[in-house]
Amino acid sequence: MRSLAAGWRIQKRVISALMMRELITRFGRENIGFLWMMAEPLLFAVLVGLTWEFMKGPEYHGVDVIAFVVTGYIPLVMFRTTMSRAVRVFTANGGLLYHRQVTLVDLILVRFIIELIGGTMAFIFIGAILIALGIFPIPADLGAMLFGWLLYGLFTLAIAMVMAPLSEVSETVEKFVPVTTYLMVPFSGSFSLTSWLSPNVRTVMLYSPPVTGMELMRYGIWGNQITPYYDIPYALAASLVLILIGLMFCRKIRRVLIVE
Amino acid sequence: MIVCENIRKTYPLGHGRKVVLDGINLAIEPGQHVGFLGRNGAGKTTLIKLIGAVEYPTSGKIHRGMSVSWPLGFGGGFQGSLTGYDNARFIARIYGRYFREIREFVEDFSELGRQLSMPVKTYSSGMRARLAFALSLAIEFDCYMIDEVIMVGDQNFQRKCHRELFDKRRDRALIFASHSEDMIREYCDRALVLDRGNGRVFDDIEVALKVYEDL
Repeated sequence: MRSLAAGWRIQKRVISALMMRELITRFGRENIGFLWMMAEPLLFAVLVGLTWEFMKGPEYHGVDVIAFVVTGYIPLVMFRTTMSRAVRVFTANGGLLYHRQVTLVDLILVRFIIELIGGTMAFIFIGAILIALGIFPIPADLGAMLFGWLLYGLFTLAIAMVMAPLSEVSETVEKFVPVTTYLMVPFSGSFSLTSWLSPNVRTVMLYSPPVTGMELMRYGIWGNQITPYYDIPYALAASLVLILIGLMFCRKIRRVLIVE
Repeated sequence: MIVCENIRKTYPLGHGRKVVLDGINLAIEPGQHVGFLGRNGAGKTTLIKLIGAVEYPTSGKIHRGMSVSWPLGFGGGFQGSLTGYDNARFIARIYGRYFREIREFVEDFSELGRQLSMPVKTYSSGMRARLAFALSLAIEFDCYMIDEVIMVGDQNFQRKCHRELFDKRRDRALIFASHSEDMIREYCDRALVLDRGNGRVFDDIEVALKVYEDL
């Protein structure tokens, strides 16, 4: 029990040190990386939103188009960047593995946490701007919104935990990672609510774990204007199982990893 | 005490495996200075990486009863895009030390001056080695692992290394991989000679050097 506590203290120390380091490298003193993280989804959402607005009018199934696109795109960006940063993360950070308290899980976790923080900030920033412009609703249920967002985040972490070690041993998987991102477009519920779908399609969609997070998050924003469908135990269980598989992969791969 | 039990390490090579270490047994007591001798590619660096848990053995066990430094050499352990100070801060944090406690020692020992505010990727390999050496001495380990010629730099730096490592930290264990017979003779009291995956430990340095020369 004592060694478990000591181990946890060391991991906390390592994770916070890695966070600082990663923040400096990515958003360092001289660049505006953090600003880009917020500006890019804003730009995309506004452009797509405007296109939709021309095609379908300012409202789509009773919700504001731009706000809808924003809430779908920001999670997708978080997923995409987490994936691209998880690919070959161990090779990219080989130097850190000279210090044996740094584990593979730390490396994935840190990159994910940074993306989660960035995504959350982008969400708050863009939401605030759009609310000020009057085209984004004031969230009806902050708790549901946050919970949905975190559930989506957990799934993102789970996929990263599986893909990162696999990308290290298989070039095929490495090349396949961008594809998972595209698969996320239709299967994450980013650009459609399940209540717009036929019951059969909806049942299938709910087998995709991120959909639950997405629906809950949107319910938190629009409240009773929309009808959410979700399965929290399933979404949680699916992510946790994937994380366990990822932990096993990491453990296996650490033993054969060649560190320069 | 560090004990290596029947260490075997293979790497993938084409369709087969290349055997680098094939059953190494070695015990290092506190305060002992062990030299690793062997020709290029004999597995000195590999064994150091395994003892430092940078890589894992294919089979066999390593028991670490004391704190072991990360392998001090020309490359590893640093993040190139970060400055020397940032790296120092990072290493202080993960080893549970305060940067302000070690800063002065690192500045003084490494003699890198303003270069410490520059990204490590702009350092020469000698400068990296100085930084690594300074940091590991500032953090304090029971056993130092020094890979290849770290005794770089001018006379003054070498004297400092000697004073800090061999005088002040006489009680620490040392693992020292080198091709320099003089250094092995001067600093080590035992030696492991690696050849084609096998290792033999000698308590007499002169005998070890003789075997190494005849390889």
